[in-house]
Amino acid sequence: MSRPMGDSHKRFLQTLMSNGIISSIQAKALHRHCCETHGAHYSADRLDEFIDVINANLQPMFMYIRKGMSEEDGVQYYALVNTAETDITRMSSDYADNELELFRKTMDLIVDSENGAASSTDVLNCADSLQTKKMKKKETELVLNKFVQDKWLNEKQGVYTLSTRCIIEMEQYMRLIYQDLIKVCHVCHNVAIQSQICENPTCGIQMHLPCVAIYFKGRSDPLCPACNQFWAHEIPVVTCTLSRPPEANGEAEL
Amino acid sequence: MSQRKRVAHAGSQNRVPRVSRQVVLDEDDDGDASYTQPTSSQVQKARENYTPVQVDRKVAEVVQFILIKDQKKIPIRRTDIVKHVIKEYKALYQDIMKRADRIFEQVFGLKLVEIDAKNHIYILINKLQPVPGEPISMCPGNPKTGLLFVILSVIFMKGGTVKENVVWNTLKKLRVDVGEKHEEFGDVKKVVTEEFVRQKYLEYLRIPHTEPLEHEFRWGQRAEKEVSKMKVLEFVGELHSQEPQSWTQQYREATSGESSQR
Amino acid sequence: MSESRRRVSRGSQEESAAHTNGVGGRSRSERAADTGDEDEGAGPSGIHEEDDDPARRREIRSQYRDLINSVQQNREDMLNPANNKLIDVLEEANKLFANVRQAREAALDAQLLVLATDLGREKASQLHAEGSSFDPSAFAEHLLSFMGLNRLEEEEDDQEGLDGYLPPDAWQKLSKRAEHCFKTAPSFHYLLGSFLAEPPPPRQRVERQRKAPSKEAKRMMPTQLKKMEESHQEATEKEVERILGCLRSYYADDPESPISYYEFVVDPASFSRTVENIFHTSFLIRDGLARIYLDSEKLPCIAPVEDGEIEPSGNATRHQCVISISPSTWKEIIEAFEIKQALIPTVQMLTQEG
Repeated sequence: MSRPMGDSHKRFLQTLMSNGIISSIQAKALHRHCCETHGAHYSADRLDEFIDVINANLQPMFMYIRKGMSEEDGVQYYALVNTAETDITRMSSDYADNELELFRKTMDLIVDSENGAASSTDVLNCADSLQTKKMKKKETELVLNKFVQDKWLNEKQGVYTLSTRCIIEMEQYMRLIYQDLIKVCHVCHNVAIQSQICENPTCGIQMHLPCVAIYFKGRSDPLCPACNQFWAHEIPVVTCTLSRPPEANGEAEL
Repeated sequence: MSQRKRVAHAGSQNRVPRVSRQVVLDEDDDGDASYTQPTSSQVQKARENYTPVQVDRKVAEVVQFILIKDQKKIPIRRTDIVKHVIKEYKALYQDIMKRADRIFEQVFGLKLVEIDAKNHIYILINKLQPVPGEPISMCPGNPKTGLLFVILSVIFMKGGTVKENVVWNTLKKLRVDVGEKHEEFGDVKKVVTEEFVRQKYLEYLRIPHTEPLEHEFRWGQRAEKEVSKMKVLEFVGELHSQEPQSWTQQYREATSGESSQR
Repeated sequence: MSESRRRVSRGSQEESAAHTNGVGGRSRSERAADTGDEDEGAGPSGIHEEDDDPARRREIRSQYRDLINSVQQNREDMLNPANNKLIDVLEEANKLFANVRQAREAALDAQLLVLATDLGREKASQLHAEGSSFDPSAFAEHLLSFMGLNRLEEEEDDQEGLDGYLPPDAWQKLSKRAEHCFKTAPSFHYLLGSFLAEPPPPRQRVERQRKAPSKEAKRMMPTQLKKMEESHQEATEKEVERILGCLRSYYADDPESPISYYEFVVDPASFSRTVENIFHTSFLIRDGLARIYLDSEKLPCIAPVEDGEIEPSGNATRHQCVISISPSTWKEIIEAFEIKQALIPTVQMLTQEG
């Protein structure tokens, strides 16, 4: 084991266990709180090093604190993820088999869709064809709600998208399973699920909405960064990333 | 050389020292057939058989398994650890568990506690306390904790055993009716008499010779390790605007509990 | 069973009872002494004549059962510190026991005694509380205040003193504070690795199906095409590709105007080619490369499916239909749709090559 962890690291890790994912602003506040609680040396710009110490100890246990960006608002997040897929990890009791199958089907729908979203109608329809155990509509709604509550899916007006937590943890899995259905953002090079696609059929690059906003900010003519043709989408406004105030409630809203 | 020393050490840790005696049946527990106490020569042989990397991986898997089993707060049985994870490494059970416990302490700030020495049942408890001023809560924020607190404090304040009616009546005053579905807890009777019992927060026992059948509640083995009687008493005192010391007997028990838990 | 042995066992039973039965008044050993004298009179012969009287024994048992019943029914009453009902019961039992000679009756006596012991223990625990007492009702009231009970609405307190209502976060609030009494370990939750990595990627599946049509599809093929399928399997694939190419180029020319399905597949010059076109087009639909929909006049239209929107097979929105066409309907369609020219050029060149 590399550098031993102090109580400050342990407290940070425990908080991540309880919450699953926290925004970088929360992570900064938590870093400070943990160091101060246990009288550890605190330096504001050392958050990533602080997390590295935890990760060095976590990695052998098939766990990791991974950083990722929200596809919706571009905010940076830290998520505690599992990195193993074994008979042991499949003993997780959080969801029943048909609930997991529903999640997988929802993910299929979202990844296959053009805009990285699936309507609740489509998700409810695919619940009819579950192989493991069929689910009634009402039950399906409750299960979907649980996935939203547990921060694996986002829901907005009956449209489901993959949460930041889900993308951070499942990125490798998605690349493996969906292969070339999974595109990478031209700007940040991370997996792009909710994104805009270049209309030029010979180009077809994808960009996250927040990446589009940043990329075209201050440019008069939005041209595709790859093929130089007109970018035929609505350009989102930068709501932006770093200057956002911390969420009021302490809960990571995903 | 150091290995030998460790063998001796591990041997002395066993509840029943059995040196070089072939034990075919672990007579003390019926539901634990997959684990038999290995002899020291078996342990030695297993240590030679497996590389440190292999053993490291087993330790990590045990840690992972225990964390997974703890998701629902159901106590973890040694039988299951052996059956699902340790398997052919079972001669090294003591070594592996000791190292897993060390990882829980050194990485997670948790502690692996055996709540039932006869049946070898473990739980995880936290070594860190929640502190004020957290930017994000360290606790999962489960409303059932409140429900559990009410029941545990009534039991404790009433001397350790309480008839179920006392609990149901108290909950009813708090707008939680056992007969009805509660919007936060669902089937309250099921949560209290099944979930909390399975998690070993509560014991729900038949009172003998009662007609119709009656039950009483006691603290379960998990509660004894995971819940601080002193803190319960302090909170109860706070609620009554009364000094914890004024409940002489409970205070005495809480004090002795604190010192034995450490 | 001899008299002396019975006496011994009775004595030891009473001894253990005396230990736990502190509150229950008179101890049982005392009682044994009482009854002892009486029994002496039974003489050395052992079992007395009247011991075996079945009617007498039945009566004793019935009296014991009544007593046991009354204790069970009046538990609360027995426990009340204000009365001595428990002692009364025991005295009653003593009287009955004086006439007990046989094991069956003694067993009932033992049962009653166990019951009384439990009650005695419980009664004792109520009495010996030191310091402040603890009243669960008062506790509940304090908890309600802590949880933020709104006691303003007092007009509505029809039901047993449950006035006021709790705010929605009441239990959350209590939990947050109560957590400080718990050393609960946080738990770790994840999704990756909680299920097996299946199903195979939808797109791959589409491609595989296109290369090797399923058995069902083969079975459903029109007979005249079977031969072609067997000898020119590759040709089928090329043909499907070619038709897709046609469809895409028509669509690309003018994405706004719908392409009539019948206009697309019908070859006014050849009925058999029309059948072939329908057959090949069905692969495009099945593989999700094209879709058929109804326009405003409820006539079928066909459009290519663009890359991004390929639906995974098995999607619930898919439907199947069987198209049958006879030379006469073929003619009718040509007239109705005023089809002058085949939209799919003839396959002559291609099949010759194959």
